[in-house]
Amino acid sequence: MPFTALNSRMVEARIGPGQRLFSQRGAMLAYRGEVSFTPNLQGGQGGIGSMIGRRIAGEATPLMTVEGTGTVMFGHGGHHVHVVDLTGETLYVEADRLLAFDGGLQQGTMFMGSQGGVMGMVRGQVTGQGLFTTTLKGVGSAAVMAHGGVIELPITPQRPVHVDPQAYVAHRGDVRNKLSTALGWRDMVGRGSGEAFQLELSGQGTVYVQASEEKL
Amino acid sequence: MTGPVVHDVHSLPADDNVHAYAFSVELDGQWFLQKGKMIAYYGQIDFHGIGHGRLDRLIAGSFHSPLHAADWVVAEGRGKMLLADRAFDVNSFDLEDGNLTIRSGNLLAFQPSLSLKQSIIPGFLTLIGTGKFVAASNGPVVFMEPPIRVDPQALVGWADCPSPCHHYDHQYLQGFLGGLRAHTGIGGASGEEHQFEFVGAGTVLLQSTEQLMPELATGAVPTEAGVPGGGGHVPQSGSQLPQLPGNLGSLQRRFGL
Repeated sequence: MPFTALNSRMVEARIGPGQRLFSQRGAMLAYRGEVSFTPNLQGGQGGIGSMIGRRIAGEATPLMTVEGTGTVMFGHGGHHVHVVDLTGETLYVEADRLLAFDGGLQQGTMFMGSQGGVMGMVRGQVTGQGLFTTTLKGVGSAAVMAHGGVIELPITPQRPVHVDPQAYVAHRGDVRNKLSTALGWRDMVGRGSGEAFQLELSGQGTVYVQASEEKL
Repeated sequence: MTGPVVHDVHSLPADDNVHAYAFSVELDGQWFLQKGKMIAYYGQIDFHGIGHGRLDRLIAGSFHSPLHAADWVVAEGRGKMLLADRAFDVNSFDLEDGNLTIRSGNLLAFQPSLSLKQSIIPGFLTLIGTGKFVAASNGPVVFMEPPIRVDPQALVGWADCPSPCHHYDHQYLQGFLGGLRAHTGIGGASGEEHQFEFVGAGTVLLQSTEQLMPELATGAVPTEAGVPGGGGHVPQSGSQLPQLPGNLGSLQRRFGL
């Protein structure tokens, strides 16, 4: 069920019988055909267990299940929308940035501390991700929202990428990230450059960066 | 990328977009524009409020109603005029002996060869005739052909097709669990229970987000029986509408919540 970008802020999804997709509640702009929108109590896939997990993790954005036959147009809040096609890798993204995603993708929650312990938790605080983030795994596509346009930066083992935590949107692939700090005495006396925290991503994959430091 | 483009009176486009957020009008005669949407001009242009002295006849010719004339300004003269609205996307559209209905806050300016009327749908205006008009939208405009159902907030306008009707989706409120959901509000609403449904031949204009532009008051409709939005007879609210989750309805009243 591929998403087609109609313009920078709107995507169209084709849905057929037996397929379903999840989207943020209220993000449908228009549709053709017979499509139903059911609020999803669990906030995505899985049973009550996954729901409680997501609630505790603060990754429980109100979602709805979209089923039926037809095409649906999605857009939300005037934010730019970027379509990510996954072919087996894992996408790490905040739940409230997910506009819509394929029902065939496996949805999970990841504890930030599992990548880098305490520093991982600090990193979550700085990037606004909190202690947990949502993972999507499998084959399918997802529409991710960002403030301003999205730039894709490839990460290769030789070339780690440094990203401003506020401009970070999502990343995918086998990527390790760590927060590097460049705090000096200037920051202590309030004469810092404002770029004291950076996110260093290394490994193999892609990082998505928005052209703005404003969060959603 | 080489710095900003510097325009002068000759390099400004004639009746075309300067970029996505500004529109340049080649003025030789008259245009109508919403108050406060002109951002700059070259040449000799006068701006008059409508309804003063010699412009009174314009009201009869182009507005047909004195009610919302106060929101419009006549630009008269020669030159280039730039229009913009709070960095919303701006687009121009041509009508050829056609009709187009548009949300009142979205219409920025139009040629006097078009005539502006209030739609019978409150909050919308209808343009009839031949000419060019400029409209703003939150995000680029997408054109769709009916049959289609549209989120009420994403609708900008429609052309040449019959006026829309309401469509309600409440399938998920049926059955035992649905009833429980409708009565307790547990599970919330999908926010997509209500759409506008378009059928027939024509074009529907959508903006790319459900965030509305602020409404423009277009004058009240006369209070009269049989006039939509006229406020003649207000039915008791909710008696005909399907009950929304979170709204406890009769339970709410019974317990005095």
